[in-house]
Amino acid sequence: MSQMQEELRQKAKELLEKGEVRYIIGWGKGRFHHRPPIFIYQAEDVDKLVWDEYCVANLGKYLLDDKFPEGKIGICVRGCDSRAVVRLVQDKQVKREDVCLIGLPCTGKVDQEGRELVKCRDCMHRNPPVYDIVLGEPVEEKGNPDRFKRVEELEKLSSDEKYEYWSNVFDKCIRCYACRNVCPACNCRECFVDQYRVGWQGKQKNCMQNQIFGLTRAYHIADRCIECGECERVCPVGLPLMELNRKLIKDLNSLFGPYEAGVNPDVKPPLGEYRLEDPEEYM
Amino acid sequence: MRRIGVFVCHCGSNIAATVDVEKVVEAAKTFPGVVYAADNKYTCSEPGQEAIKKAIAEHNLNRVVICSCSPRMHEATFRKTIADAGLNPYLLEIANIREQVSWVHTDKEKATEKAIDLARIAAAKAAKDEELFTSTIPIEKRALVIGGGIAGMQAALDIADAGLQVTLVEKESSIGGKMVMLDKTFPTLDCSACISTPKMVTLSQHPNIELMTYSEVTHVGGYIGNFEVTIKQKAKFVNHDICTGCGLCETKCPAKVTSEFDQGLGKRPAIHKLFAQAVPNKPVIDKNSCLKLTTGKCGICSKICPVGCIDYEDKDKEVTKKFGAIVLATGYELIDWTKLYGEYGGGRYDNIITGLQFERMVNASGPTDGKIVRPSDGKTPKSVLFIKCVGSRDVNKGKSYCSRACCMYTAKHAHQVLEKIPGAKAYVSYMDVRTPGKGYDEFYMRTLEDGAVYVRGRISKIYPEGEKLISLGEDTLSNSNVTLETDLVVLETAMVPNPSAEKTAAMIGVGRDKDGWLQEAHPKLRPVETNTGGVFLAGTCQGPKDIPDTVAQASAAAAKVIGLLYKDELETNPMISKVDPQKCAGCGFCIEVCPYGAIELVDFPDRYQGKKIMRKVAQVNGGLCQGCGACTVSCKPGAIDLLGFTNLQILEEVDALCR
Ligand SMILES: Cc1cc2nc3c(=O)[nH]c(=O)nc-3n(C[C@H](O)[C@H](O)[C@H](O)COP(=O)(O)OP(=O)(O)OC[C@H]3O[C@@H](n4cnc5c(N)ncnc54)[C@H](O)[C@@H]3O)c2cc1C
Ligand code: SF4
Ligand code: SF4
Repeated sequence: MSQMQEELRQKAKELLEKGEVRYIIGWGKGRFHHRPPIFIYQAEDVDKLVWDEYCVANLGKYLLDDKFPEGKIGICVRGCDSRAVVRLVQDKQVKREDVCLIGLPCTGKVDQEGRELVKCRDCMHRNPPVYDIVLGEPVEEKGNPDRFKRVEELEKLSSDEKYEYWSNVFDKCIRCYACRNVCPACNCRECFVDQYRVGWQGKQKNCMQNQIFGLTRAYHIADRCIECGECERVCPVGLPLMELNRKLIKDLNSLFGPYEAGVNPDVKPPLGEYRLEDPEEYM
Repeated sequence: MRRIGVFVCHCGSNIAATVDVEKVVEAAKTFPGVVYAADNKYTCSEPGQEAIKKAIAEHNLNRVVICSCSPRMHEATFRKTIADAGLNPYLLEIANIREQVSWVHTDKEKATEKAIDLARIAAAKAAKDEELFTSTIPIEKRALVIGGGIAGMQAALDIADAGLQVTLVEKESSIGGKMVMLDKTFPTLDCSACISTPKMVTLSQHPNIELMTYSEVTHVGGYIGNFEVTIKQKAKFVNHDICTGCGLCETKCPAKVTSEFDQGLGKRPAIHKLFAQAVPNKPVIDKNSCLKLTTGKCGICSKICPVGCIDYEDKDKEVTKKFGAIVLATGYELIDWTKLYGEYGGGRYDNIITGLQFERMVNASGPTDGKIVRPSDGKTPKSVLFIKCVGSRDVNKGKSYCSRACCMYTAKHAHQVLEKIPGAKAYVSYMDVRTPGKGYDEFYMRTLEDGAVYVRGRISKIYPEGEKLISLGEDTLSNSNVTLETDLVVLETAMVPNPSAEKTAAMIGVGRDKDGWLQEAHPKLRPVETNTGGVFLAGTCQGPKDIPDTVAQASAAAAKVIGLLYKDELETNPMISKVDPQKCAGCGFCIEVCPYGAIELVDFPDRYQGKKIMRKVAQVNGGLCQGCGACTVSCKPGAIDLLGFTNLQILEEVDALCR
């Protein structure tokens, strides 16, 4: 780990000195164990960059804070960050030529107690699928054979049982919108929950409105979710949001064939594509 | 203030017999915004329309709801009615309480409840209706006909005779389609070539027709009145400007391959005309079989051509042209029975042929000079079995539909066997004999009198025994098993859409039905129109038919084209999509899903974190948009809305239903 960190600082220094990037987004030392994102502008600051088992946060989303940059942005990407950037590029929110992806193969991150994070346990792409530079050696992919196990269990419930289950889940939601804010798939200019007049979404915090929020958000990211699990990680009340996301992924796979968001920049998301040979029902 | 008027129609007893119309009127009076409600015997009649106009004036109505038949029936009528009364025509909503209520329900109480629900929904939507305005666009006065079978030829001739310009695109090297392969045509038995080749010649000489053979449409953009079409002219390797069509090259070309035109029964050289009377009557080189083009050795045709028109360097060319209207006439093919009917040998027995192969055989200019023979040994068959409905009306193996022309041409085929081979036997295995047409049943009766033996039932197995083919089946009339021993078996196979039509149709945005036939806009009332404005259908591309029906439909499509192109400009539909640039994130997903290519990203000046920037937002081309709404559901930020069906209106409808 520390050797990679050294390589990363070295590379960052080089990029900044040569002026190839204007700044670099990476992880820095925070007050607590988790590493907050930092933005390095000067070559002499590269030692603030950290790469260890606590670099948890997905960095992709920070690109949305500088959509019209005055120079290239260097960004550290693991598998999940890389996929996040690909998604943002596909959604035309970030220009590929505006970013330099510094790839970091990742073996998973841990929490305070040293336990592997759920999102990392479920990870399907530890190596960044897309990058400009890659550091270290590629790591072995372990896949996720249990990807849809929980979804299959839920599918077995009756409609009433499902309703009760999800009502209970969303009853706890405090509508802090942390899940939305962290999600690299959420990139509307004005989120439906913030719109003055949407009609179906009220601002009240009650079970009904919470459910509509949760379901609509899941639908909005249906073919965009990169399974980075950030929504579930940041949710302060611990809602199982990935169950819903994976249900939609599973349905999309069975309707349109297997698709993983953000893995291949040339493959369009199934809901955002019209092909001449599409079955007639979709015309 | 919304002042909504609701008018509930009895439609004689069509609605009133199943829906308590008075009750609907009473309920309507209580809906929010409704200030007037009344019923009418026939709302579409003149007194009915007058009553609406009068109510609009007397009660100062500014939104109108009509509870009647489907909007597809009378929306245009009623829009005009309220426009006559001074309202914007788009301030109208129709609740369909006939097709969706009275015609499909029997319980009067429940039907009335449903009618009230539909009326309430319509009133809620009407309250949110806004005025919409049409604009006009100019029309390109040239038509494109795709497919040069009898359908395409007839349509092109009719349009050209009306004084309009036509381009006919045919993928083969000659026009003519399937009709020119046939020998004689039922029910009159006139020679197919004699009636179709004069049309082909007239067409090629018509001053208003541009003929593009060996060509295919590769891209269609634009919209009704203003299509922009790219046409690829495949390399012919023969300069048709100087070729005299003498045919010398064909006689000397050493590369001989199976002839597609003769349905595999004969051979043709690599440099060839499709058939003797081909139009244009000049050859092309098939690049896949030409020795010079595949191996670099040969070049005989170039040496022998007296005018030096062979050009081995010829390349595909693409041209883009503008058209006001398009006629699709892409025709049919026969189903590939060999993959479906293993019990008939799946293509392993030479002496089982298709109806079209039979046509080539009986045709005097065909591969056997008009003699009916067994492909295996060239001997004249003494007995022939015709099997109808192979692949048709067979849900398990083939298609559920009836191919419509086979009953008649089978009768023709049986007659031809009996006429051409003295003493021969002709058997026909059939499920039904369908002869609805002028002179059709008489024709069938004549074949029976000629001595054709019709056996009612499907053949379940065919196998060879010695020189013969043994067909096993049942005779459902006598309830017994039959075994037929014949020299030749002809399968009258199902018509299926020409496979190349699929791509062409998708490019133009024309739908296809479950079997792949191109979809008409309405099976009864708009049989030659499609759901894409300015695109019409002619002939078998729309469904199986015989020549008389094909020609009638082609002329109908031509009439529609002429009607359209005679106008100078066109009113546009105002019920199209609209982008809110503030909400639009510029992701461009709407562009991907729009089947009409109506959306593009354009620059939009904005501020971003204190900077002046130029960002991209989607913009809808009002001429191209057909108002399908596909984009609105693809837009996650909800920045695109369909005017006349806004998200807000739909939500109001849902709300009204839940009240
Ligand atoms: C065995 C048999 C016998 C028959 N006998 C009779 C009879 O005696 N009497 C009768 O009335 N009917 C008969 N019919 C029916 C008759 O053949 C059809 O009704 C008629 O030929 C239909 O004409 P069409 O122009 O619609 O289609 P087609 O003849 O199939 O013409 C379509 C044309 O479009 C071209 N094309 C297709 N796709 C494209 C594309 N994408 N771009 C450019 N060009 C394209 C094709 O090459 C073809 O030239 C018979 C049919 C069969 C199978
Ligand atoms: S929904 Fe959750 S898992 Fe999916 S992309 Fe957003 S943050 Fe990641
Ligand atoms: S409604 Fe949207 S998707 Fe449909 S044609 Fe218009 S712009 Fe295209």
